[in-house]
Amino acid sequence: MPGNIRSVSAVRVVLLCLVFCRRLTIIGAAPICTNGQAGCHVLSLANLFDRVIQHSARMHGISNDLHSEFEQYFLPSKNQVGRVSRNCHTSTILTPNGKENAQRMAREELTEVILKLLVAWGDPLWHFHQTLEMSDMVHELRKGVEKVAEKMQMLGIIVNSVSSQASPEALLPSDSAEWRLMKDYDLLYCFRRDSNKVQNYLKILKCRIVPEHGC
Amino acid sequence: MTVCTRMRGHLGLALLLLLSAAVESNSMSPPGKPVLLGCRSPEKETFTCWWEPGSDGGLKTTHRLFYERERLEGKHECPDYRSAGRNSCFFDRDHTSIWVDYHLTVVASNELGNTTSDIFKMDVMEIVKPNTPENVTLLVMKREDNLYLHVRWEPPYNTDTKSGWVTIKYELRVKQEKSNEWKEYTSGTETHINLYNINPGTLYAVQVRCRLDHGSWSEWSNSTSVNTPDYPHNEKLFWILVSMLSAVPFITAMCILVMKRKNVKQYLLPPVPGPKIRGVDVQLLKRGRSEDVINALIINQSFPPMVAWKDQIEEYLIVSDDGLLLDPSSSQKRKKSLIIPAGFHLDLGIQCKEPTPVQRDLQKAEERKNEMDNFVKANTSLTEGNLSDMEPPQPPTQKQLFPIASFVKTTDQSPSKHNSAAENTVKPLANCGYVDIQRHENAKEVDVIEVDYSRVKEVSGDNILILQRGNIPGYMDIQRQKENIPEDYSRVKEVDGDNKVLLQRQNASTDSSCREKGNHYTDCTNQKLRNPHVTGPSKVGVCTELIGSGYVDTIPAPPLM
Repeated sequence: MPGNIRSVSAVRVVLLCLVFCRRLTIIGAAPICTNGQAGCHVLSLANLFDRVIQHSARMHGISNDLHSEFEQYFLPSKNQVGRVSRNCHTSTILTPNGKENAQRMAREELTEVILKLLVAWGDPLWHFHQTLEMSDMVHELRKGVEKVAEKMQMLGIIVNSVSSQASPEALLPSDSAEWRLMKDYDLLYCFRRDSNKVQNYLKILKCRIVPEHGC
Repeated sequence: MTVCTRMRGHLGLALLLLLSAAVESNSMSPPGKPVLLGCRSPEKETFTCWWEPGSDGGLKTTHRLFYERERLEGKHECPDYRSAGRNSCFFDRDHTSIWVDYHLTVVASNELGNTTSDIFKMDVMEIVKPNTPENVTLLVMKREDNLYLHVRWEPPYNTDTKSGWVTIKYELRVKQEKSNEWKEYTSGTETHINLYNINPGTLYAVQVRCRLDHGSWSEWSNSTSVNTPDYPHNEKLFWILVSMLSAVPFITAMCILVMKRKNVKQYLLPPVPGPKIRGVDVQLLKRGRSEDVINALIINQSFPPMVAWKDQIEEYLIVSDDGLLLDPSSSQKRKKSLIIPAGFHLDLGIQCKEPTPVQRDLQKAEERKNEMDNFVKANTSLTEGNLSDMEPPQPPTQKQLFPIASFVKTTDQSPSKHNSAAENTVKPLANCGYVDIQRHENAKEVDVIEVDYSRVKEVSGDNILILQRGNIPGYMDIQRQKENIPEDYSRVKEVDGDNKVLLQRQNASTDSSCREKGNHYTDCTNQKLRNPHVTGPSKVGVCTELIGSGYVDTIPAPPLM
């Protein structure tokens, strides 16, 4: 765990360095940003996207490891036949389950879906295991995505403001207690799946909005 | 009767038919249970599943795949049985959903029944394994005299890596033709790489594979090879020139050396004067040292020069019992005496201590009853005439005391212990314990072959030894044994007056005495250990076994005899 946190902070340092280095090395672009310059904003949006995507990739990696370890130690018989529908508390959130669906979805909707997912996972992870940093990661990622949304809105990429709708109370009105009923294994499984969704959606969003930077 | 038999026949036939029908129907059965082997998605957009059919039960069996899906009502059948081959099911994009569970079953059915496989649960997210990268090309490039390999490839077939849906990562491995070890490199998202640490004149093989997100790695692509060129020709020429140029002065130097080899030889290896040994070895008698020693031992005695040694004239060394050879005058009056043939070369390397430790040792030796060091050597040449024959003028009465650095240490306080003549005890003169009797090869005049010892039975008066009859072989002189100088000993028949011993003519075989020598030598060494002061190449000249026994060394040819 501490290794992952360390690597995340290392990633952040690298990203910061990249941001500054890019600003220093690019000739012709506006090295020093002011609010009025469009080119500078685009650059920083791409960097913001990179940052959150890295963060989400890290989060998914950790959730993957957590799940496989849990499965290995606590549930050797993997193919337990149960109901087809899994009891993820985020099942109510409608998410695109394919590439075309995700690409067809509007940017605002996609951003909103991401934020909903991130909001939904803050509390359960904290209750699952207080010492895990997962809950913190989810919170920070959510803040990052909110910043991205703000930036996009500022740039006119998205029309409606998203962040106001991402309040936890509005998203999960009544089934906030559902996650308490989930078993630990199902919780880890659902989290692994949802973190993968978040990562994929962010990447699609980035390649749609700022495609020229490494897509 | 015939009707009955006919009926029986019909019955039998019918039975047979029934039996055969029954047998035939027993070989057919419902189909065996099929097994779902697994599923795979190459790009996270479609997927394929395979199964293994069970036994077909002898009838035509069909297999059908059914699935249930999360967030989808009902049981559905496989949309495509053909595209992926036999016993497979291909799900296209419309039928593929990510992040949802699929429950798959295969049903085998024939005329006799159905058999359903176990449920196989999967999520497309977990089964991603891409195709191998395509068109791997390998080029040898050169930049500023540095060789490097440029590897280039294309993304796997039908995989969308541009939309951000999947993030692809490549990995390649390189192998030289002779080794079996692959060296691996990661490439990230780039579809080309440069490898710089390569050797010329080798065949290189390269393979590439890829992975999507956190999924499984693909298979390695087919091996692509290329040959790196050898060193260019002009480099070889350069080195040839350099070696030739450097060879020229080398060759000239060698020629000069060969032509002037005599001078060179004289310069490098100057001639060294070889040793000249005339007669007795001079080295052992280092003049200055011997004089010092002698002065310490015997005052005011003049010794014969080295020439005397050469003549191999033997004389007796008379050691007096008051323990001091220092006092030559006392040597005149002796009650007990020890006769040592002075003709023997005595090793000067022995250090002798002062008499006082001698006394100490004497006491020590007294305690050890077994220590009796006596030996007597008699020399036929102990005659006045012989003495006078010696070149250095000697007073006839005076016994020659050749420079000796060692003394015979004799301690015997209990003569009864040995049946030899115990009177032979002589107080140790010095702490040295041996008399080294050496003959040198220059002793041509002396032709000793054997060593023959006899016991001294009684010492009467001065310089008279009465020897026992009987040959007691014994040997003390190791040096002689080593040098293999034949020695000739004979028994003392009679001692006549001063300085006269009459000997028997006898020649014993050398071999036996030599053999004896060996045996006694071991004893000698034991004795030697008790005399720590004995140093140098000395051998213990005195042995316990020889206590009381003495030998007479005979040297034939003294004309006086």
